[in-house]
Amino acid sequence: MKRYDGVAAVDGVSFEVQKGEIFALLGPNGAGKTTAIEMLECIRQPTAGSVKVLGHSVAASQGANEIKKKTGVLPQKFSALGRLTVAENLEFFAGMYGTSVDAMGLLDLLGIRDKAKVRFANLSGRLKQRVGFAAALVNDPELIFLDEPTTGLDPESTRTTWKVIRDLHAKGKTIILTTHYIDEAEQLADRIGILYKGKIIALGTPVELLGKFGGGKTAVFRKGGDAVFGTLRRFFDTVSMDGSDVVLPFDRLRDLEVALAALVDRGLEVEVALRSPTIENVFLKLTGLKISESGEAN
Amino acid sequence: MILFLVLGSIYGNPGSPDQAVTQNSASYFLPGLTAAFIMTNGVIGLTNFSSELKRDRVLRRLSATPLTKLEWLLGNILSQTVLALALGAIMLTLGIVLFNVSVLINAYSVALLFLGVLLFSGVGMSLAGLVKDPEAAAGLGNIIAFPMMLLSGTFWPISSMPSSLQTVAQALPLTYLADGLRNSMFSADFAAFTDLVVVAVFAMVLVLLGAKFMPWKES
Repeated sequence: MKRYDGVAAVDGVSFEVQKGEIFALLGPNGAGKTTAIEMLECIRQPTAGSVKVLGHSVAASQGANEIKKKTGVLPQKFSALGRLTVAENLEFFAGMYGTSVDAMGLLDLLGIRDKAKVRFANLSGRLKQRVGFAAALVNDPELIFLDEPTTGLDPESTRTTWKVIRDLHAKGKTIILTTHYIDEAEQLADRIGILYKGKIIALGTPVELLGKFGGGKTAVFRKGGDAVFGTLRRFFDTVSMDGSDVVLPFDRLRDLEVALAALVDRGLEVEVALRSPTIENVFLKLTGLKISESGEAN
Repeated sequence: MILFLVLGSIYGNPGSPDQAVTQNSASYFLPGLTAAFIMTNGVIGLTNFSSELKRDRVLRRLSATPLTKLEWLLGNILSQTVLALALGAIMLTLGIVLFNVSVLINAYSVALLFLGVLLFSGVGMSLAGLVKDPEAAAGLGNIIAFPMMLLSGTFWPISSMPSSLQTVAQALPLTYLADGLRNSMFSADFAAFTDLVVVAVFAMVLVLLGAKFMPWKES
């Protein structure tokens, strides 16, 4: 738990992450994602509760030091020494761990080898973030913390970042990331913890979450209008309109068969699309809200 | 350094037959300016450097590495020491080559140099930690540094100032650092001892304040 002036920023956040897994803390802005991950990074002390990382308690300074040696951290808005070049900054960070680093190899991994000799201050925010990712890897960490690794990135940079995360996962690294992008959590994570107002409100693999909170599948009758809606309404209470689309949640194929038969009887030709639930439905089900592109819950 | 050359030539006029005057004024400015450089490096340079790193959250990122707060403090003091030694060496070389000053290098002057670094690094660290906005911290650094430089006998002897300003000068640490360097570098007797003690006390207090208030991670 972490309190500020008596207000709990995160409270009752309890989860375990297995070695070699990608764990995503998913939640809207202000949910307490950064507070939670910074307690794991040992740069914020919990007010109460116990946090163990790699077998060491974050509260003990000896433990924190052991954790820091074996972890890598990418903060939001990474910054470094502006007057040093990208490669020099990586060497500087490696120095903090008392190791040397193959700066070029890391920059290759992040696709920014050509920026090695550019001064850090002259990079764009997007490139600074990639240098930050490289800096998180200088000590070849077992566990990597990524705080909103793709927020504000263009689609191409996001794909590069995802690829790097998947490659690290394939090498057996454990990764804990925070994000407000539902597709990011769904695409990358082995397990997801949904964080909302400082609490974990759901925890599990994407499949588990969808099974528990996702609801069933839905059939969408494109531009079906009142005729389709009226026909289906006689059989299903749950049918609804979304603009001119008609939306029908269903659990069994039998329901779909009934619906299609009714429409064929009436001679209504309409395009049908089937939708599976996503983690977005899970969040909606749990909070009644959607997370926008900018991370706001509304 | 340029200041030293300018002041040295204006007051000293190396071409004049009166070599004694040249040597005297150069030997007045050499230790005074060295002390002032150490002061500005700490109070302005280190303040700017640290508060920018705080603003950009670089220090917070460093606190997630095994680097400790004490190591960061010592690292900063070490870099300030290297800078002070380099500046001191250049000033001495200029003084010897251009103005023909004869200088004593002894334990007092080296100790004073190091204590001066500690003292003003402490000021810089405290300012960077206590003042939230980096621009305000930089401004405050300037507000502290420049009057101190003018009042501490860097450019003219304190005895030539009005008595009220002399009282102010006696409360400023730079006065003792400059005076101590002058005494230790040019006189065989060690009048520098009192200065050394005063600078040491200031240094102890300010480096502790610096260690307490220096920016690092928030707890």
